[in-house]
Amino acid sequence: MIKNRLITPEGTRDLLFEDCIARRKVESAIKEVLIPRGFAEVITPALEFYDVFCGEHDGIPQEEMYKLTDQKGRLLAVKPDLTMPIARLAATRLKDHPLPLRLYYNQNAYRITPALSGRSDEVDQIGIELIGSGTRRADLEVIVTAIEAMSQATSQEFRLELGHSGIFGTLVEALELNEIQTEEIRSLIESKNYPALVDRLERMPNQQAAHALGQLPALFGGEEVLDTLSQLIQLPKIEEIVVYLRSILSDLEKLGLLGQVTLDLGIVNRNDYYTGIVFQGYLEGAGDVVLNGGRYDRLLSHYGADLPAIGFAINVDAVARMARSQMQFQLLPDVLVYAYPGYEVKALQEIDKLIRTGFRAEFCVCETSDEAKAYAIKKGVPNIYLVKDDILEVRV
Amino acid sequence: MRPIRIALTKGRLEKDTVAVLEKLGYDCEELHNKGRRLILHIPGANMEVVLAKAADVITYVEHGVCDMGVVGKDTIMEHGGSFFEVADLGFGRCRFALAVKKGEDFYSGYAEKTIATKYPNVTRLFFAEKSMDIRVIKIEGSVELAPLLGLSDGIVDIVETGTTLKENGLEIQEEVAPISARLIVNIASMKMRKKELEPIISQIQSAVTEAP
Repeated sequence: MIKNRLITPEGTRDLLFEDCIARRKVESAIKEVLIPRGFAEVITPALEFYDVFCGEHDGIPQEEMYKLTDQKGRLLAVKPDLTMPIARLAATRLKDHPLPLRLYYNQNAYRITPALSGRSDEVDQIGIELIGSGTRRADLEVIVTAIEAMSQATSQEFRLELGHSGIFGTLVEALELNEIQTEEIRSLIESKNYPALVDRLERMPNQQAAHALGQLPALFGGEEVLDTLSQLIQLPKIEEIVVYLRSILSDLEKLGLLGQVTLDLGIVNRNDYYTGIVFQGYLEGAGDVVLNGGRYDRLLSHYGADLPAIGFAINVDAVARMARSQMQFQLLPDVLVYAYPGYEVKALQEIDKLIRTGFRAEFCVCETSDEAKAYAIKKGVPNIYLVKDDILEVRV
Repeated sequence: MRPIRIALTKGRLEKDTVAVLEKLGYDCEELHNKGRRLILHIPGANMEVVLAKAADVITYVEHGVCDMGVVGKDTIMEHGGSFFEVADLGFGRCRFALAVKKGEDFYSGYAEKTIATKYPNVTRLFFAEKSMDIRVIKIEGSVELAPLLGLSDGIVDIVETGTTLKENGLEIQEEVAPISARLIVNIASMKMRKKELEPIISQIQSAVTEAP
């Protein structure tokens, strides 16, 4: 298709210069947090069997996956999610490895997004998975690591919101809702659609649980929302979660991290992916969630290993876009080094010297010194070295 | 930090929203004498009003360049998107309905049915929930024409009083969904600017629930 030869597909883009620098800086700042904490990198293939991503409850919607077939006609997907391939890996090649596994990844994920929405189909993500521990310690470590990673990645104001999937789960159980009703109410809470939610819950038999469920979208903010929840409903399971979240908050306070943390008890992720504590990160100026994480104790059993796990993923592109405005870029060389005919070797040696003393030096490929000067002016390079028997330094 | 930006759907919803804002004591002078300006200030409050077409209100809010928006449920149902839908403002009330030629029954027989509509997504979802395969034809203008000209078996459209339907020999076969104006909020703004947004939202909520 010749007409498409000069453009990139919708949802993708070329990254140039500053964009690349910003992305790499964000990536390496985050990796510098992860690696010393014992997380080791894994790279999974860009193409996986489609089956990896389709679960009964926690699969990826098929219309969001880029699909193709292998030589045998089997269905493949261009990786729409990075955690599922790692769960597959942990359950297979790493099954005899000492637990817990501390893994990190930095790869692209691909999703088909609605046309003309301005969203990217290709998203650079960094994340960790702590697999094989279902303890409070593991939760605390991953949350602290997420906060640390975000504060190293950007100087922009950042906020992490904690929630717990068990709150919604317990209330839904108390109301004895079926799958369709549960999904309907979940999506109303997710979109904080108070009017429809209240309307929907009015007809429910267990009024206390229904009322509490109706209040969930409003329960975000400081620790006081836990008091509100305890007043709204008295169920042993809910009380357990309240105590648990309080203890996490108290530890975060001791670490001096409470300033960046709030609660949102209305975090209710689609499907059954998350089974315990959940969290989302927001960055000032970014209109959407930039970090997603939580405990997912059932996912690995789909791949044959019954292991608890917790992890998070950071949308590097979104963070880099915000961080870029705070960065300074030096893209131009300090010096353009021009060699008169026959002095090319000397010029190259000079460049080597300049670079070793910390300068950026570009070897000039122009044939004449006039061309070299014209090029330096056009590009904006501040200095030229004219190399003959001696070296003449010229300010442009 | 930039002022709180609220996007309003131009036209009737805009007027109704301005009435609510004025009731709450906001100075909407600029909104009455706006000329051709599209971004308007509310003096005394750290707030700006942006005027846009319905679907664009969703787009601006979704991307976070506006923090809040007022838009009809019809547009939300057709366009979808991720944002918080925090209040039913009560005005702009109407409904989506399936209408057919007077005396006809849309559901009779087994032949494939055709629907003409300006809202293909709403239509598809409505019939998908009934497990019905439907041919959907998108029409931009007066959809009432389509069944009259024999292009479709029925229409799915917004119905307010039903007068247009009646005058063209159509009648409502079934209600699809009720519609009214909604207050929507960007997901990140709700979290990052909670202190500023929450009072505005609760003021608006209480103002519209007081109204008759």
